[in-house]
Amino acid sequence: MIERQLTLIMENKPGALARVVGLFHQRGYNIDSLHVDPIDDFTPYKFIEDELNIKFAKGEVSRLVIKTTVGDKLMRQILRQINKLIEVIAISDDESTYLKGILRDENLL
Amino acid sequence: MKLAGNDILIQSLINEEVEYIFGYPGGAALHIYDSIFKQKEMQHILVRHEQGATHAADGYARATGKPGVVMVTSGPGATNAITGIATAFMDSIPMVVISGQVQSHLIGTDAFQETDMIGISRPIVKHSFTVDHQTNIAQIVKEAFHIATSGRQGPVVIDIPKDITNPDDLFDFQYPSKANIRSYNPPIDPDKSQIGRVVDAILNSKQPVIYAGGGTISSNASEELRELNSYINVPVTNTLMGLGVYPATDEKFLGMLGMHGTYQANMAMHNADLILAIGARFDDRITNTPEKFSPKAQIVHFDVDHSSVSKIIEADIAVFGQVKNSLQAINSLIKDRLDEINNFEIDKWHAQIAEWKKIHGLNHNLYKEESDNNPILPQAVVQHVYHASHGKAFVTSDVGQHQMFTAQYYHFDEPRKWINSGGLGTMGFGLPSAMGVKLAYPDEEVICITGEGSIQMCIQELSTCSQYKLPIKIFNINNLALGMVKQWQDMNYDGRYSSISYEDSLPDFKSLVESYGHIGIKITKNSELKQGIQKAFSIKDKLVFVDIYVDPNEHVYPMLVAPNGSLKDMWLSKGNKT
Repeated sequence: MIERQLTLIMENKPGALARVVGLFHQRGYNIDSLHVDPIDDFTPYKFIEDELNIKFAKGEVSRLVIKTTVGDKLMRQILRQINKLIEVIAISDDESTYLKGILRDENLL
Repeated sequence: MKLAGNDILIQSLINEEVEYIFGYPGGAALHIYDSIFKQKEMQHILVRHEQGATHAADGYARATGKPGVVMVTSGPGATNAITGIATAFMDSIPMVVISGQVQSHLIGTDAFQETDMIGISRPIVKHSFTVDHQTNIAQIVKEAFHIATSGRQGPVVIDIPKDITNPDDLFDFQYPSKANIRSYNPPIDPDKSQIGRVVDAILNSKQPVIYAGGGTISSNASEELRELNSYINVPVTNTLMGLGVYPATDEKFLGMLGMHGTYQANMAMHNADLILAIGARFDDRITNTPEKFSPKAQIVHFDVDHSSVSKIIEADIAVFGQVKNSLQAINSLIKDRLDEINNFEIDKWHAQIAEWKKIHGLNHNLYKEESDNNPILPQAVVQHVYHASHGKAFVTSDVGQHQMFTAQYYHFDEPRKWINSGGLGTMGFGLPSAMGVKLAYPDEEVICITGEGSIQMCIQELSTCSQYKLPIKIFNINNLALGMVKQWQDMNYDGRYSSISYEDSLPDFKSLVESYGHIGIKITKNSELKQGIQKAFSIKDKLVFVDIYVDPNEHVYPMLVAPNGSLKDMWLSKGNKT
C-alpha cells in the first residue's frame, strides 16, 4: 500500500465531481486529498484533443488531482472504474493513462 | 417546428421508436402525461407501483434487446423506481427512466414530493442527466438512449423539473440524428493481435471450456458463439445470466456453473487448462474462493467493459470490444486452422466429462415416485412446465429456490428466453417483467415461475395484467416458507428457522387472483400435477395462476461449499459432499 496520485481531465459539468467522489466511496476506496481546478491553458493537453479528435474550449473541462493509498491491483481497478464514467475524458496514475478506450503505459497527464 | 418542453420530450421518445412507456403519473409529471394523452404512437402502461414499471420495462428490454422506457413522478415515484433501476444496472440492461422533478426554483427547498433523484440513483445508473433547459431536452434524450444501448448497456436516468415541461413556453424542436459524446467511446472492434493469441491458445489447449455469460446475449452473439463451437467442439457452460445463449439440449452443454451449477460444469471449470470467458464477469457466485479458482487454467476474457477484466480473476489474454465482433474475428481466423486442433486430447477431455455427468446428472435419482404418498417436488413442477411448453416459452422468475430449479430444469435453447434478476437478486421481479415480455411478444407463451414469498412483493401487478389483458401463466411454487433462506438455516444454523415462515397468514391465491378476474388453479397432490399444468396451458385468453404446494423440505443441489471452497467442492445432496 503506497500513496498514489491520480490526475483526471473531465467535463466541467454539475454532478461530474460527485460521480468521481461517489465512486471512491461505493467501491470502498479512500481519498487522502483532492484538488480541482478549471483548465485555462490547454497546451499540455493538446495530445488529448488530437488523439480523441475533439476541441476544448475555455471553462469546459477541469483538472482533478486525487491522492489515495492503495495496492497495485486496486489501483488498476480504480483507474478503469473512473475511466468508465461518462464525463471523464482522461485519467492517469504514475504508470499509465487512459484516454477513454485507449490505454497508454505512461503518465501523460 | 416549435413545441413546448413536454411535447419535445414525448416527440423525442417517438423519434427513438419507443413502443411502450411503463409508468405512473403524479404532480411533477402532469405536463408530460398531458403530452402522452395527445399522441398515438406509443402506449402508456399504467402499473400499480413504480417498481413494477421498472421491472416491466426491464423484461421488455431483456426479451427484445431494445431499451425499456419508464416514466415516474418526483419524490416517492422516483424512490419506488430505485429497486428496478438497480436490478437493470446489475444485469447491464438498457433502460431509460424519466423522472419528474419539482420546479427548478423549488429544488433544494424540501418542496412537496422533492427528492434528489440524481443523488439517490447515482451509484446504480450508467449515467444520469438533469434537464436545465427546454432546448436541451432532445439532445439529452438522444444521448440517454445512446448511452443506455451501447458499450456495456445499463439504465440512464433523466430528471426533468416541472417548469421545463410547461406547455406554455414554446421552443424550436429538431431531433438530433447523432449523439456526440466526446468523453464516451466504448470499445467495439477487438485488437487483431489479441485475436491471434486467442486462436493460438485455443489450438494449443487440451482441456478447454467456454464459459459464456449475459454479455454474450446483450451483444447478440449467440450465433457467433454457436459457430465458434461448431469449429472447435468444446464443452460449454453458461452463467445464470447466459442461459440460452448456447442450446441447453446440445450434448456439449454442461449446464449452468457456479453456486448451484451442475457437477460436470464446475468440475470442468476447475480442471480446465483454458477458459474462454465470454461476456461473463467472474461473479462471486461463480468463482467460489477466487484464490482456488481453476488452478491450471489460462484465462481468456472477452468483454466490452475494461473494468470487468482482471477485477476478480486475472486474465492472461484480454479481448476488449463487442463480444459479437470479437467472436466473428476469432471465427474467421480459426476456421482455416482446424487441422491444428488436438482431437486426441479433446476427445479424452469429453470422455472425462461424460464420466462426471454420470456422477451427478440433475436428472438422476433425484425424483421420488410421483404418487400421492409423496409431496410434489419443486423440480418436477419445472420439468412438467418445460414439457408442457415444449421448451419454447419465455420464462421469467423471481429469486430463491424456484429460480435455481428453473435455471437447472428448464432447458433454454435460445437467448433472451430466460428473464431473471441475476446480479441484484430482486424478489418481485418475475410478474412485472413477464408483463413487459408479453407486451413485446403477445403471441408467444410467457411464463412466470415464482414462489409464494416473491410473488407477494409485486402482487399488485395482477391488476395491471387484468387491465391490459395479459394472459401470462404464473406457476407459484409454494413451499410455505422462504425456501432459500430456510435451506441456509438448515445447512449453517442447525435448522433455527428465523423469520422464514408465514404459513398461517398466506392468502388463498386461487380466490385472490379470481378477484382480479384471472383464473386460479390449486394443486396439492402429485396425481393432480401433470393434468393441472396441462389445463393451465390449454387456457389461452386469460391469465392463469397455478398455486402448487410442494415439499417444504427440499433443498437446491448441487451447492458449492463455502467459505474457503473451490469449484470442485460441492454438496451433492443433504449431508453428501464431494
